[in-house]
Amino acid sequence: MSGAAAFGHDPTDYNAMPEAAFRQVVRRFLAENYPPALRHPQKRLHFRDSRPWYMILARKGWLAPGWPREHGGLGLSAGRQIALIEEYERHGCARSNDMGIVMIGPLLIRYGTPEQRARFLPAILSGEHIWCQGYSEPDAGSDLAALRTHAMREGDHYIVNGQKIWTTLGNDANWMFCLVRTDRQAKKQDGISFLLIDMTAPGVRVRPIVNLDMHDEFCEVFFDNVRVPAANLVGEPNKGWAMAKALLGFERIFLGSPKQSAYALERLGLLAERMGLAEDAAFQDRYAQLRLDLADLRALYERFAEQLRQGQELGPEVSMLKIWQSELFQRITETMLEIGGENAALAGPMEGDRDLNISGLFINARPTSIYGGTNEIQRTILAKNVLKLPG
Amino acid sequence: MNSSEDSAEAIRMLRESAAAIVPPGGDLGRVRALRFKEPGYDPAMWRRMAALGWFALRLPEAQGGAGLGVAALAALAEELGRGLVPEPLVAGAILPAALIAAADEPGRAAALLPALLSGARTHAFAWQEAAASLDIARADTIAEARPGGGARLAGRKLFVPQAAGVDAFLVTAREAEGISLWLVPREAAGVALATETMIDGGNTGTLALDGVVLGAEARILAPARAPALLARTLDEAVIATAAALLGLMDRAFAITLDYLRTRTQFGKPIGSFQALQHRAADLLVQIELGRAAIGQAARLADDPAIPAPARAAAASQAKARASDAALLVTRQAVQMHGAIGYTDEHDIGLFLRRAMVLSARYGNAALHRRRHAALAPAIDTEE
Ligand SMILES: Cc1cc2nc3c(=O)[nH]c(=O)nc-3n(C[C@H](O)[C@H](O)[C@H](O)COP(=O)(O)OP(=O)(O)OC[C@H]3O[C@@H](n4cnc5c(N)ncnc54)[C@H](O)[C@@H]3O)c2cc1C
Repeated sequence: MSGAAAFGHDPTDYNAMPEAAFRQVVRRFLAENYPPALRHPQKRLHFRDSRPWYMILARKGWLAPGWPREHGGLGLSAGRQIALIEEYERHGCARSNDMGIVMIGPLLIRYGTPEQRARFLPAILSGEHIWCQGYSEPDAGSDLAALRTHAMREGDHYIVNGQKIWTTLGNDANWMFCLVRTDRQAKKQDGISFLLIDMTAPGVRVRPIVNLDMHDEFCEVFFDNVRVPAANLVGEPNKGWAMAKALLGFERIFLGSPKQSAYALERLGLLAERMGLAEDAAFQDRYAQLRLDLADLRALYERFAEQLRQGQELGPEVSMLKIWQSELFQRITETMLEIGGENAALAGPMEGDRDLNISGLFINARPTSIYGGTNEIQRTILAKNVLKLPG
Repeated sequence: MNSSEDSAEAIRMLRESAAAIVPPGGDLGRVRALRFKEPGYDPAMWRRMAALGWFALRLPEAQGGAGLGVAALAALAEELGRGLVPEPLVAGAILPAALIAAADEPGRAAALLPALLSGARTHAFAWQEAAASLDIARADTIAEARPGGGARLAGRKLFVPQAAGVDAFLVTAREAEGISLWLVPREAAGVALATETMIDGGNTGTLALDGVVLGAEARILAPARAPALLARTLDEAVIATAAALLGLMDRAFAITLDYLRTRTQFGKPIGSFQALQHRAADLLVQIELGRAAIGQAARLADDPAIPAPARAAAASQAKARASDAALLVTRQAVQMHGAIGYTDEHDIGLFLRRAMVLSARYGNAALHRRRHAALAPAIDTEE
């Protein structure tokens, strides 16, 4: 196989190791290998920038910690995966283009055919295929099941027409996993299929969209009679919705990770020092409150992580994690605005401190309550699916 | 104005002339095109505003002004805020005009005002030496007296709004008797201006004065009159900026309400979901609190019978509410737009960015709450 040489294997059984020892291994690896220039990036990196890190992981055989061994993964337990993520976050590692690893890889391992696995998994591990997620459409956001991008079967191909939007790093990707409508007669969720689309195919057009941070981080993707081999359909036709939902569990705990809030709180402390407020009683009171908000987030996160460690699936309760993390992150950056005065309205970092970009953090905190299901939708999930309120 | 009826009529006309420049609901293409490059606004528009007489709005009729009050200024600032107008009416014209018009030597005012009022020369009040401060007395810039009446100025001034287009700075400096105000031409030897980009695409200036030699005529206000005049003028800028935030949040809210009525998900307009209805209702309350506080501050500022601390406290009350409310409204406006609110292509983000800048200018909410608390004892004993 052509890509086989491009990624390594690490035979160590980290699950058998005590967690503290495992964390030591990770820390040493990061200290020796992580590109210093990529620590704590202020923006989500494009693949051209994060590629060195991706390839370091690929060569080490660490790119897919959660995948089973037989598919080229590390086969880490959920608990070890959480520890690994925590160590990466502590070191300020950039999030690379990980949609292939976190989303489509596990989906193919669970629902894909042997041919699909053989074709796509090694290409993810070698960095040959970079994936993006094509779910949302202009008229299908919170109401995702209203999606209209259409795939019509024609012989051994599907002909795809329609449009996706908000596709994160779609401008880096050469493959998209996509929800498409294959049956227009069926009711909403029932006519949706899961299709893998080669973005270099004729008829695919990508338009980057500049976000509020002035960064072309998401895209519109248009499909004009794009021919997709029927072999790229995952699972059964019209059964895509259930598979897409099954992917959400890990994403949800990921979105609840304390890392953004932890980083922001550290910046807040630094800013308070710069502003001469570190000893200010009112500030200390506020800071103590935010610190406990973060400590409680960590405790809650740990509770969900433990469920994963025990091999349990996460229920709708995990929505509370995403709500609390995103809104805490936002509150911390709002406090930075409060104490930073005019410094908080500079477009770049504060004078003399490259890492203190207050407005950047504040702006970057905004979409955390929008993506991955808006916080309004998460609250509805809690009210309906956890509290079982009528409605 | 002699009667409140005249004043109401003047304010109505002022709002109308503003609407000619900033059509309500008008295109923000002009605003976009001026972002992220200097001077951050359109000099032709600047002269047009001057021609409308706006720069002289607060000056007495004897000095060629319109003789209008703070309420009129607030009304105009609100309309311009609604349109996210980047021309620095308050910082670049109203504030400096008030200070120059009040010059100790009436001849100085007569000599300097025409170029300012015509828009030929842009001025700025450079008083600030620390972030998050509204304290004019906190000036380390020194005016060292020179034989014959002039001085050598040395110091550093921060956060001069839209400084890239400024021709002359009105600089506060400390001398033996206290704080005085000096006119420093940008081209004077020893003056260095560094600009930085703001989050809304405008700019802010750091002014370094390295032994700038000025003649006696450059001293606009001596320590005897300077502090009270500077404080009072700055408070008017505080109220006007609060009013700009009011216009801004008002329009951001209107855009959002439109979106709640037209965007459908789950087969219904999203504005039919109670969660968003309640949020919109809460924002309405905030906006109206802001409008009420600003109206009150303007009324007190225009009433000569009101003692200075009460006037200042009302200005702080208005700016505290307006700053917080504008940030809240624009944050929630983005949230209620979903992902499209997080794009630069959609206009709603322009409102959030400007709110970040104006809420911080002349003191943010936290600063004004503290200032109000500090002024409260003085007010309470007067009552
Ligand atoms: C930074 C970013 C990255 C993204 N990346 C991707 C990606 O890679 N792939 C992808 O497919 N999508 C992506 N998305 C899209 C994301 O999933 C959607 O933005 C999200 O689902 C919301 O949809 P919408 O933006 O259309 O907002 P809408 O659904 O139109 O919502 C607008 C507002 O109405 C509220 N609302 C809607 N319905 C209800 C209701 N029933 N009750 C109460 N309130 C309601 C929402 O909470 C929101 O405040 C991304 C979004 C962002 C911001």
